[in-house]
Amino acid sequence: MEKAKTRDVQQSKLRTFLAGDTFKALLPLIGFVIIIVVLNIMTQGKILTPKKLRLLFSQIYYPTIVAVGVFFVMTLGSIDFTEGSTLGVASLVVSALSFINIPLAIVGGILCGAAIGAINGFFHVKFKLQSFIVTICTMYLFRGVCAYFTTETAVPASAAIKALDNNGLKIGITVAVLAIAWFLFRFTRIGNDVKAVGSGETAARFSGVHTDRVKFLAFVCAGALTGLAAFVNVIKVGSITATAGNQLETQILISLVLGGLPITGGAKVRFSNIIVGTLMYAVLNSGLAILGYDPQTQQLIKGIIFLIFVALTIDRKALKVIK
Amino acid sequence: MDKKTMLVAEHIDKRFGMTHAVNDVSINIAAGEVRALIGENGSGKSTFCQMLCGIYTIGGGTFTLDGQQLHIRNQVEANDAGIAIIVQEMGTLSGLTVAENIFLGHEAPFMHMGIKDTRAMNKAAQKLLDDYGFGRIKAATMIDRYNFEDRKLVEIVKATYFKPKILVIDETTTALSQNGRLELYKIMDQVRADGRSVIFISHDLGEVLTRSDSISILRDGEYIDTVNSADVTEDDLKRLMVGREIGSAYYRADYGTPVSKEVVLSVKDVSVPGEIEDISFELHKGEILGFGGLSECGMHEVGKAIFGASWNRRGSVTLADGTAINDIPTAIKHSVAYTSKDRDNESIILNESIRNNVVLPSLDDLANHGILSGRKLTKFAEEHATNMQTKMQGVQQFVSDLSGGNKQKVVLARWIGKGSDILVLDSPTRGIDVKVKQAIYALMADMKQKGKSIIMISEEIPELLGMSDRIFVMKDGHINGEFMRDPALSEEDLIAKMV
Repeated sequence: MEKAKTRDVQQSKLRTFLAGDTFKALLPLIGFVIIIVVLNIMTQGKILTPKKLRLLFSQIYYPTIVAVGVFFVMTLGSIDFTEGSTLGVASLVVSALSFINIPLAIVGGILCGAAIGAINGFFHVKFKLQSFIVTICTMYLFRGVCAYFTTETAVPASAAIKALDNNGLKIGITVAVLAIAWFLFRFTRIGNDVKAVGSGETAARFSGVHTDRVKFLAFVCAGALTGLAAFVNVIKVGSITATAGNQLETQILISLVLGGLPITGGAKVRFSNIIVGTLMYAVLNSGLAILGYDPQTQQLIKGIIFLIFVALTIDRKALKVIK
Repeated sequence: MDKKTMLVAEHIDKRFGMTHAVNDVSINIAAGEVRALIGENGSGKSTFCQMLCGIYTIGGGTFTLDGQQLHIRNQVEANDAGIAIIVQEMGTLSGLTVAENIFLGHEAPFMHMGIKDTRAMNKAAQKLLDDYGFGRIKAATMIDRYNFEDRKLVEIVKATYFKPKILVIDETTTALSQNGRLELYKIMDQVRADGRSVIFISHDLGEVLTRSDSISILRDGEYIDTVNSADVTEDDLKRLMVGREIGSAYYRADYGTPVSKEVVLSVKDVSVPGEIEDISFELHKGEILGFGGLSECGMHEVGKAIFGASWNRRGSVTLADGTAINDIPTAIKHSVAYTSKDRDNESIILNESIRNNVVLPSLDDLANHGILSGRKLTKFAEEHATNMQTKMQGVQQFVSDLSGGNKQKVVLARWIGKGSDILVLDSPTRGIDVKVKQAIYALMADMKQKGKSIIMISEEIPELLGMSDRIFVMKDGHINGEFMRDPALSEEDLIAKMV
């Protein structure tokens, strides 16, 4: 009798823990470890060789930069589907300007991205359209723009920009973006404001947060960072085809959610979600490639893992207040 | 008593994380009895009833209704077992008709081979509405076309038409006008006459005493006592709820103290289309200015308009130094604070910690060259939440876990922390128990002493009379009367200007 009671208590404790916030916060890390271990066993240790790791890291610079911008948008409880098409269009701008000079190309890419972000933000804020509707429309639009310039042939960039292809520069840019964003998120009111809007927009407005301004700027920031990522992308690929940035938005979305970012945004968002998420996605990606799955199967597996993760980590209490 | 027992609750228990919301509560309710359940906010009375009604799972113990042990998983099963609940907030679903709301979950009698017979359903619903005397509500109309009060009446029909053995009324009366309350009382009497039972939760002790047969008191999740309504007074109940004597100093006691002539805020010709028209007045330093009226009279919009939160406002709101208040950030920056009647949506971010709620309006003050220190924020929140005696596990706890009274303490803590000099308090004690109410009144009197000015918008006339230096009564968007503080001023004087 006593024993049964203790067991009941233990079971209910376990259940509370599994349903609790601590477990949900740890889940991404647990998942990360599981994915590494499983892939390591399946590939017989091939995934952790220095060469593979170098390859793995070379794939994560520009998605990380993009993820930082989307992180702010998703903390608001909004979503942005335009990253892929923005990256395509901004890459075209960077390539074209790279023939004049490099700094101009960087600025041009960022401004191009920021302009697309501003369009998204404007329609979202002024017309009170849901962000996923606005950004699905603009995604379609800018995909079209990108295709228009690249249907005949790929658009080449200048030799000067291709000569910049070295890890030092790419790591430098990525680390700088992460550091600045971390500082802004953690130590200024920007972080508090975006989280407040994500947790409860009306109450945030009544607390003196410039909610419309915060939302608009988050989209501009997501666009601008995608523009910067376009520069890093052009360095690497050298010429722009119609598929530039294809499905990037899905990749970012999956990465952030794998990293533990609640899709409802708000109070439980952690900056570490970006880093854990992008690393996890990259490991998964390269593991599946080493295992020899074709791209279609890879996509299928990633989709399944994504679904499981969303189902496990979503905060159902917060969902009720999302409009 | 030789009456038949209707409900036996044995060792009912519920925990939410660290909070022991209901602690081993056992109650018997007789058939034909109206049993009131009272206690402060967070005493566990709502949680107890929500377990009975299948809204929460039962943490421990058993309910036995009419000799049958209950195993209920949701509200529809509760209805089938003979239990119904009317809740405090909106309990009807938008986008459905009145009839669809009434028969929600019980559509079977109107289904023929998977197809709904809308006409039969509407007819049945209309008959019910007519029988209840709510004939002006039309069954086929969308529920959204009716106001809060009418929707409550629909909910009452929905909860009682199938003659449940136990009807739970969870603080419904606060949302109703006098007329609506009378309708509800009639139904309670009907249930009693039929030999069925009512569990009646209310903060209005006068109503509890006159409307119930017996009263059970809960405190901090524990069962305290059950008393006969005829044998006790309001003061007895207050003592039982709080566990100590409540002093007589409930409202402020001073009369005739002059208010400073210094004007701190001028409101001139303020209009909000469809809500208020040409409101003009001046607020003085150290004044408590009351706004009263019926719920729809526009007084709640006045609060929003002063705070710069109204859409489409005309006219001007200016401070003594000439600053015009047209938006919320300006209002906050210039020491104006606002607490909304809609606490959970407008005053506080539910899905956020106490800490981040308390610091949010003060972030600019707490930043050093734009840089925030986490430790400083936590200290600030701890200081002000503790000063308000907020019952919490720590400032990292989420506000959604707190009871109504404690949420309001967090709301007030943030504005006291901000150091605001002009406070617009809309329904500051709405849904709050006596002990916290007393604390809020004391706080208001203290702020007045310190030269802060308060605009108190309230639907409770005793609180307006007890606390205000001056009272404006509003009707149909206009100011319809002005009264100065006076012990001779009566509720009837104010009501005369409201209707």
